[in-house]
Amino acid sequence: MRRRALALLTVLCLTGCTAARPLPDPRVDAAAPRPVDAQDPAAIPSAPAAAPASCDPRASLRPSGPLPAPGRMPAGSTMARIAERGRLVVGVDQNNYRFGYRDPGTGDLVGFEIDLAHEIARAIFGDPGKVLFRAVTTAEREQAVQSGAVDIVIRSMTMTCDRWQRVSFSTEYVSAGQAILVTKGSPIKNLQGLAGKKVCASTGSTSIRNIATKAPQALPVSAADALDCLVMLQQNQVDAVSGDDTILAGFAAQDPGTTVLPDRFTEEPYGMAMKKESTDLVRFVNAVLERLRADGTWARLHKTWLTALGSTPQPPAARYRD
Amino acid sequence: MNRPKRVNNKLIFGLAVVHYLERPGVVVGVTLVHGPATGATRLPGVQRRLRRTPGRLALATAVLVVLGLATGVAAAVGVRQRIDLVNGATARGGDLTVAVQRLYRALSDADATAAGAFLAGGVEPVALRERYQSDIADAGAALAVVSAGRAGGDRGDAAVAQITSDLPVYTGLVETARVYNRQGVPIGSAYLREASGLMRERLLPAVQTLYDATASELDDARGRAAAFPWFAVLLGLLTITALVVVQRYLARRTNRVFNLGLLAATAAAAALVVWLGVSAVLAAGRLDASREQGSTPVAQLVGVRVAALQARADEAHTLIARGNGAKFEEDYARAMENVTGRSGLAALSGADATTSSAVGAATGEAEKWLAAHQALRALDDGGQYTEAVAAAVGTGPDSTASIFNRFDEHLATAIEHNRQRFDQDVSRAAEALAGADLGIAVLAALLILGAALGIQRRLAEYR
Repeated sequence: MRRRALALLTVLCLTGCTAARPLPDPRVDAAAPRPVDAQDPAAIPSAPAAAPASCDPRASLRPSGPLPAPGRMPAGSTMARIAERGRLVVGVDQNNYRFGYRDPGTGDLVGFEIDLAHEIARAIFGDPGKVLFRAVTTAEREQAVQSGAVDIVIRSMTMTCDRWQRVSFSTEYVSAGQAILVTKGSPIKNLQGLAGKKVCASTGSTSIRNIATKAPQALPVSAADALDCLVMLQQNQVDAVSGDDTILAGFAAQDPGTTVLPDRFTEEPYGMAMKKESTDLVRFVNAVLERLRADGTWARLHKTWLTALGSTPQPPAARYRD
Repeated sequence: MNRPKRVNNKLIFGLAVVHYLERPGVVVGVTLVHGPATGATRLPGVQRRLRRTPGRLALATAVLVVLGLATGVAAAVGVRQRIDLVNGATARGGDLTVAVQRLYRALSDADATAAGAFLAGGVEPVALRERYQSDIADAGAALAVVSAGRAGGDRGDAAVAQITSDLPVYTGLVETARVYNRQGVPIGSAYLREASGLMRERLLPAVQTLYDATASELDDARGRAAAFPWFAVLLGLLTITALVVVQRYLARRTNRVFNLGLLAATAAAAALVVWLGVSAVLAAGRLDASREQGSTPVAQLVGVRVAALQARADEAHTLIARGNGAKFEEDYARAMENVTGRSGLAALSGADATTSSAVGAATGEAEKWLAAHQALRALDDGGQYTEAVAAAVGTGPDSTASIFNRFDEHLATAIEHNRQRFDQDVSRAAEALAGADLGIAVLAALLILGAALGIQRRLAEYR
């Protein structure tokens, strides 16, 4: 009898009522999202093959005499070919605040490195506007120069003996060095303070390898783009960001709640990369740099763009290998 | 206590009686086996009564009434259930799937629009901002519908919770990106990338899970609504057989060929079975059509639309990444393959005229988009960033934004058309069943009345 009553109830329920089901009790992760492709802990890239010992990475090729007048490049030279083409093609960064970036307001590329490119165009054409900028990634820099896709790469590229084997560098135009960015008031005061703390640098960069060797107690985290590291610092997912002080100064300028620690634990001389064979262009660019150092243009540009790096220093002295 | 047990064993008991009426000698064995309630001691008395015609007729009445009642109840309740499944679970399931699709579209559109607005510069165009805001509002509304209307299921519950908690985080990231972008600093782009990553890696997959859960609930309801009522139809056929047997017995016994009451009962039983069977087959056909012409093409079209929105967002992100966008460009190619490829628009080639023409127009726009995208990439790769951005978000008819909007309108037309066909087919299925529950109840009543009265008149002749 009871079974039949139950069966009848079931039939009635199927037709009419819906039995109240228990309320769901979901568990949701409250953690802030991470930038895409962030690695925690980071994979540390292996060191490159040992570079030849006898090398001064800062030493470039000496200018051959005074600069030719704009529009009158020596016949047959690389500069003459560029002049004929009508535009200087320069590989730059579009995301490095104050060095080379798009001003979101105007959409124009601006920054210290962009202005240096304009100065070289001025020396060739007499018109600073005759530049075609191409965005190149960190990994593409050497290839872009070697393939001739660009004439010059001006993109926070450290001069190393290893790279000298494949490209030629101009003289140094900025002396950078790896440093640490932290939130203001952070207990981390120097490299030693990183022990047990999470430090972010961009994936595959030399910065992350340097952290692994110089602060072995630190916990490296990596992100696809250095800017993603600043996002992770703001979201409290890392305790510090490490990278070239030039880039970190740009970060500190974007977020006044952060500061660059005074410690610099590597030397990163920035040079402009050109094709290995185009020695005439290298000498020409070095002559332009000599002028910019001498006539105060370098200091003016530094003051315009790089105040976050501190008071304007003396321009890095030119060193030559011949 | 005896009667209900007989109801319980009604099929077997009915068979036994039919058997008995045909060959009276055999029933003892059958009753012994199948009538556990009938005590062995009472058996001779019953048997004696049943040997006389009035006793047999009384038994026949009881059997026919019970069979008629069982058939009527099984058929009417079954039809009622199927009507409820069609009007309730299926129609509601269809509406729920639409709500989930709306959620999917709104979120994908928000992702693409936020990227486009970011691209347009420090102060984003009012139209894009408004579109983003209405997308978020639409997503919230659709989410409310989905969470209120869901039947339940753990997978769906987790997905709803995930979407509800991630959506405000997503909008927070987009607003952070917007504020930084207004200040002219590049970190805004990093926040936008993170927002987009959250959308693609957590939110949209959760919506997909929810969609799968809702779609399988719909299929389940549709399957149950379209199931053939075997039990009720077999009961009905058994009733008809019993009626025929009783009539033959009476004809032999009373030399009257026709018994009006029993004839009417037989006609009612036949009408009941036919109505039940035909309405079920018709409804199943309509429900099948609602899947083939309605929900399946809508699901395919929504898939294409979402893939296109993803491609649109990828295109914008490639430009926002400013030279670091190779990954987004690969994503674009993959998403466009889902739009134009074999699993995309091409899969809809067999659709009806309206759908085909809308799909054809959309395919044309997709091809134009691919060409315009190539031109845009050439501009960006050639250093003409500002021109590339204009080609992506400009208001002219040749910008990829305008091409995309036209593409999306064609898809919206096709989706709306197929959605209407779904609604039509479902309401036709409901029409096929409409009134069947009441009609069957009336027929069953006629059946019982006819059988009872028919036999009663013969029985009266013995008194």
